[in-house]
Amino acid sequence: MSAPTLQHQVTLLELVDRVLNKGVVLSGDITLSVADVDLVYVGLRVLLSSVATLEEQNAQAIAQEGLR
Amino acid sequence: MIHVYGVVEGLRELPPVAGVAGAPLRRRRVEGLELVVSDGPDAEVTQAAVLEHAEVVEGLMSRSAAVLPAQFGRPFGDEDDLAAAIRPKAAELSRGLEHVRGCVEFGLRVVGPTETPEASSGTEYMRARLEQERALAKIDEPLAKLSRASSERAYLVPADNAEAFRRAVHRLQVEHPELTIVCTGPWPPYSFGAEGA
Repeated sequence: MSAPTLQHQVTLLELVDRVLNKGVVLSGDITLSVADVDLVYVGLRVLLSSVATLEEQNAQAIAQEGLR
Repeated sequence: MIHVYGVVEGLRELPPVAGVAGAPLRRRRVEGLELVVSDGPDAEVTQAAVLEHAEVVEGLMSRSAAVLPAQFGRPFGDEDDLAAAIRPKAAELSRGLEHVRGCVEFGLRVVGPTETPEASSGTEYMRARLEQERALAKIDEPLAKLSRASSERAYLVPADNAEAFRRAVHRLQVEHPELTIVCTGPWPPYSFGAEGA
């Protein structure tokens, strides 16, 4: 697996994990079922374009590091 | 239903985006805390809804002094439900805001050198696991020094240290070519909301 692909997949999983599993819990009710979450994990490849911004920032940081 | 995006402090303005399912965002004050919410039917867990929620939280982070992202998928029936849920947690949430103020979150995943040890015996497997643990400990120490807090695979980093943190990760990757280090962020502090408890 090439590094950019790994970065994509990890970023995607990290985003979904944060939104669905992390964050402060304000109420006791939860409307997600485990099956729903599985579907989201399968279907979220669309998010790749949105996480590209984050990766650009990372790439810029590393590029800047190279200039120092 | 009322969908909550987060608890904020010092929010300058609402981000110029719609909430889940295109619902307009609004600010709501409960027990001295400010929440950002939207109204609408119970949000289904779709890729669009998760992304919309994340975009709002991202927008809140860049426009406020502190944000505690709310977990997706826990809507409230009405204003009374919302107030009743927040009231007993108000002090805890205030401490949580203080804890994350001025910080961003970085995620870290470390792969290798033997991600799935092909062990022929239990002893070999344990040895491989031990090597992994040692590698991870070496990675963790310099990054934890730059962080206010860390949890499993996440670091709460003062924004002023964000560049130093990225450089430290880059340096660690160079020093440990046997590992694949993937750093993501800066994220809103999703993983540190309960730390003030």
